Amino acid sequence: MIKVANLRKSYGRLEALKSISFEVEKGSVFGFIGRNGAGKTTTMNILTGLIRFNEGKIFIKGKDFLKNKQELIKSIGYLPETPTFYNYMNAYEYLNFVGEIIGCDLKKSSKSVGKLLETVKLAKQGKRRIGGYSRGMKQRLALAVAFMNSPEILFLDEPASALDPEGRVEMLELIEGLKDDKITIFLSTHILNDAERVCDKICIIDEGKILLTKNLSQLHETYIQPIFDVEFEEDPKNEVDLLKKLSWIESIKENGRRISIYVKDIDYAKSEILKEISKLNTNVTSYQIRKSTLEDIFMRIVSKNEII
Amino acid sequence: MKSFKAYFKKEILESVRTNKYLILFIGIVFWALLDPLMLKLLPLLMKNYLPPDIAVMFSTFTRDTAFQTFLNDLFQIGTLFIAFTLMGLLSNEVSLKKLVFPYSRGANPAGVVLAKYIHYTVTISLFILIAFLTNYFYINRLFTGGILSIEIVLKSSLLYMLYYSVLLSILLYLSSLLKRGIIAGITVLVLGYTLSIFNQFKVVRAYLPNYLLLKAADIGYIFDNSLISTVIISFCIIILLVFFSILRMKKIDVA
Repeated sequence: MIKVANLRKSYGRLEALKSISFEVEKGSVFGFIGRNGAGKTTTMNILTGLIRFNEGKIFIKGKDFLKNKQELIKSIGYLPETPTFYNYMNAYEYLNFVGEIIGCDLKKSSKSVGKLLETVKLAKQGKRRIGGYSRGMKQRLALAVAFMNSPEILFLDEPASALDPEGRVEMLELIEGLKDDKITIFLSTHILNDAERVCDKICIIDEGKILLTKNLSQLHETYIQPIFDVEFEEDPKNEVDLLKKLSWIESIKENGRRISIYVKDIDYAKSEILKEISKLNTNVTSYQIRKSTLEDIFMRIVSKNEII
Repeated sequence: MKSFKAYFKKEILESVRTNKYLILFIGIVFWALLDPLMLKLLPLLMKNYLPPDIAVMFSTFTRDTAFQTFLNDLFQIGTLFIAFTLMGLLSNEVSLKKLVFPYSRGANPAGVVLAKYIHYTVTISLFILIAFLTNYFYINRLFTGGILSIEIVLKSSLLYMLYYSVLLSILLYLSSLLKRGIIAGITVLVLGYTLSIFNQFKVVRAYLPNYLLLKAADIGYIFDNSLISTVIISFCIIILLVFFSILRMKKIDVA
């Protein structure tokens, strides 16, 4: 559905995208994750035709995006991270305005505007000026704009960032529902639990480079190595330094009295880790082995910035 | 055409809700009412303070001179109001990222630019017509003498409409180029005022849009052959600058 090849984008001397390539299959949810400033929003802005790029090729639905931009853009909906509206309009007026740009039948459009506002739970506030909306309400309205005219591809940039917990859950359910409708979703998020829940494929971007693109299941297989979580009675600063010196320990993530130990050889670690901990001059309050989450995988890849 | 219609309606709504119509109306029409009243009342209010020769000058105002005073004030103050009210015509849309949704849903830049230009050209032209007719009405009530007629007033208003259409196209283009609307507004203002200096030079003045203002005040000789080149050049400027604004808005990054 989307094919990006060797895409480059520079802002003056700053190279925001360093020849990135990836593919998104039709009807899938493509999770685009990365740290702030990694190049996620730049990529989305390019793919939605809002900014130009320096080099590379983009194909959407098999067609060259540059040559067929006006045609292809009609099948795209975009929810930017910080949506901006004409604040003097109300939600009905804004959606009708966008509907007119898209070329919706205005009579049908006014009905669908009502439905859309109900879907995003803004029907009651539909006649209020947008300037008075909270950030979460603006995000819901932005979602309604993105949904207008039933696009085949949806670009969602941090869709849950301004929503309350209830709204976030609803958003995820909505995305899962869209997946069932065979809509292709390009989802950028830093909430890795969300990505893990709804995405079929994960792409990790850092400093303008793609570090990894894999199906979620493949990702778990590759990074199946468990993590050893140990909690101490007191802050284990010195003990951590001692553990870090061991050759079979890859890295240690510290979080107060709790540490997460990433190892190179799982079998060796299982037999040795408790022995090493017992040598430390501190009391252990808990010890457990758990599976890697997407967050663990992300941290491991990004901190090493290794190409896999 | 879809984008043109959508943006034309949006500009109307925006002008109503953000009081742009009101500001432009005051900037253009208010002086049509105030000028003749001030000219009539000032000598009466200041009669004990003004030197006799100045007082005589006020008392000799005819309908023609009162109209010319209005034209002069309209140019000086109206230009100020127009430049500062509409300085962010395109730059605000880009810098405040208001075009993200419309562009991502396929808005045509040509439709956006044309809707804005045509909407404000029509608005300003309409306000100029109202201002000229209002001024003519009050001048006829308050002053005597001179050859001023409705025909002269309408001809004069046409030249002002054309002049402000040129000025608006310059503002539109600068607003598409510059990130800050205020710079576009000040540039247009400086350009408008300084170009009037060239009206003193017979060789070049007919090739500059400010000659329209000079001829608008040339009561009795408003439309003559010397205007042909000015009108042609004015239309060329409008077409070129609107075209360049469209090109710019097609290439600009809106996010």
